[in-house]
Amino acid sequence: MEYFLQNFPQQLVNGLETGSLYALIALGYTLIYGILEMLNFAHGDVFMVGGFLAAGVTAVLVHGGVSFLPGVLLVLLMMVFAMGGTGFLGVAIERVAYRPLRNANRLAPLITAIGVSLFLESVVQVFVSPAPVGLPTNAFVSQGQLRFGNVETPLTGVLLFVVSIILMVALDLFVFRTRFGSAMRATAQDREAATFMGIDVDRVIMVTFFAASALAGMGGVLYGLRFATVNFFMGYLLGIKAFTAAVIGGIGNLRGAMLGGLLLGVLESLGGGFISTEFQDAFAFLALIVVLLIRPQGLFGQPLGDRA
Amino acid sequence: MSATPAVIEEPPTRGQHLWQSGPAAWNEALTRPVVMIPFFILAAATPLVLQYLEDNSSWIGAQFWTTILANCAMYACLALSLNLVVGYAGLLNLGFIAFFGIGSYAYALVASDQLHQHYPIWSALLVVIMVTVAFALLVGVPALRLRGDYLAIVTLGFGLIMRDLILDLDRPPILAGHQFGPSDLNLTGGTNGIHQVDPFKLPTSLPLIGSVPHFVMYYWIFIGVLAIFVFCMLRWRHTRTGRAWVAIREDELAARAMGVNTFKYRLLAFTVSAVMAGIVGMIDAAFIFNAFPGNFDVQQTVMVFIMVILGGLGSIPGAILGAIAFTVPPFLLQQFVFIKYLVISLVLIAVMVFRPEGLLGTVSIRPRKTMGGTVELFSDQAGAEPSAGTQGKAAELESTTGAIVPEAGPEPSV
Repeated sequence: MEYFLQNFPQQLVNGLETGSLYALIALGYTLIYGILEMLNFAHGDVFMVGGFLAAGVTAVLVHGGVSFLPGVLLVLLMMVFAMGGTGFLGVAIERVAYRPLRNANRLAPLITAIGVSLFLESVVQVFVSPAPVGLPTNAFVSQGQLRFGNVETPLTGVLLFVVSIILMVALDLFVFRTRFGSAMRATAQDREAATFMGIDVDRVIMVTFFAASALAGMGGVLYGLRFATVNFFMGYLLGIKAFTAAVIGGIGNLRGAMLGGLLLGVLESLGGGFISTEFQDAFAFLALIVVLLIRPQGLFGQPLGDRA
Repeated sequence: MSATPAVIEEPPTRGQHLWQSGPAAWNEALTRPVVMIPFFILAAATPLVLQYLEDNSSWIGAQFWTTILANCAMYACLALSLNLVVGYAGLLNLGFIAFFGIGSYAYALVASDQLHQHYPIWSALLVVIMVTVAFALLVGVPALRLRGDYLAIVTLGFGLIMRDLILDLDRPPILAGHQFGPSDLNLTGGTNGIHQVDPFKLPTSLPLIGSVPHFVMYYWIFIGVLAIFVFCMLRWRHTRTGRAWVAIREDELAARAMGVNTFKYRLLAFTVSAVMAGIVGMIDAAFIFNAFPGNFDVQQTVMVFIMVILGGLGSIPGAILGAIAFTVPPFLLQQFVFIKYLVISLVLIAVMVFRPEGLLGTVSIRPRKTMGGTVELFSDQAGAEPSAGTQGKAAELESTTGAIVPEAGPEPSV
């Protein structure tokens, strides 16, 4: 018990850190699912590509002798490149692989998405690196630790948390406070009715894919900064967990995805810290099963009605 | 919702040549006993022919080619099992290959020195079936109550957890500081897998044929299992159960309205497919003498998927053709094997986009043009053009293959 009390705050902080990453990626799953009712398996791999874009930017700038640039500028450059790159990647994926199947049987886009996921992994594995790639983060971001009592966390972890929260709030404002956001919500509710109201559904879907993928790309950058290494396989497990987070929060529900992500991160961290580190990955899966059994519409989701 | 006739099953009409008919007719023609029985006899005779050629010429490669064929037959068995769950019942089981692995490990545990058990083949088979059924129910009961997408993610997670379990169970699990089992407990052998698994006790020579090498024997076993699977799948297709599966796949709501217990039939399809994969896994473990974690990572699932998709969902000859198409080239093009998954993923995307029903598929997963198509009909020209382009290509493909697909009729004028 004493062990538990001593370590609980630290595990909680670790959990919030990974949880904010899950939430960032879960937002993408939930956005795309909300609008297209489609599970975008490739989303985790878009996150991975974001990490590699960040690694590429640092490799070019740091090894290219531009290391006199202030660290803040470098990080901003990484973020812009990675978000832009993954955003356009998402739009391209939608255009090439998903749009032709938009009105097809539900199975078709799901299978295509698996193909896209494997494609992205294979491209990075074959043409970039089959081994993990390190980011020389110590060259441009502070490696300091934030200390609070006996809890400590690296500053990059704090960055991860803060940037994630800012982006989540921004997305929330975009979807719930802007005109385009209301077009998105209308499309999510009823695509055909939205068309009749004069909404360009194709454009809404394109922007949705751009936003979701850019968030995943930002997740990749933050992951790269925090853990200083990226690999071609990292999107797979994280994608499953982020999707789990989206389901816990109620798929299609933005605020649910954020809370679900944080909740899952904390749950996993506590499970890993106090029950078993080896089976840490199994906790997310167990959480998914339990949520699906008890409350399939998620903690904050609407009942799915006849879609069961 | 789907207004188009779901299952396209029109036998070739009289006076029309087979090559002018659709994939459904091809499917029908290729699954007749008059085609299937000679196919299996020919397949079984192939290693003997290869052996004869090797004995009577300077060519060597009978063992190499028989091993490739054995792999082909194994993947064909797996593709058929997956076809049952995805093609017949429309359930996206992404943890499919885990059941293959569970079968391998279940057999390896009761037929090796790992636990010092050496069960005879039939009791080992019983164990394998029981274990795969248990796991299938464990995953299926919670996941199949829900809509299809959740099943996909739950099974994907399941495949991942099974892989983790197999890698971590070379030592006793420790949960919350409590160690389960003795310290020297080693169930799965971790990354090394389980070695020296017993092969089946089979005669090494047969009357009339003489001595039969190990790989030929297992090739025959795979071919035999394939024949049994094909027979079962063909029989099931037109039973009450088979019709229920197709009904659920095509329109779950309508199936429920007709009184089909969807949960029961989905669970049945899921479990039967898992058991089939488990049995194939067991034979594979005996064939290669070990159970190895690398043999069933997640990419393997996609590999089996592409076989089924390319051949056509729901098509039995299609699954066999798909297995051949994706097993032989990797063996022959070893220097390009590093781009194997790149090619597979590209083919998967291309097939889904341009010909989603595959070569011989009978499942209509092509985009609807009638009810759901209003978005395309009413959107502006820029939005409507690309989709019209792909539909045009699809129609072109259909006309070149001469498919009788109802949707291939003239474009409705707006």
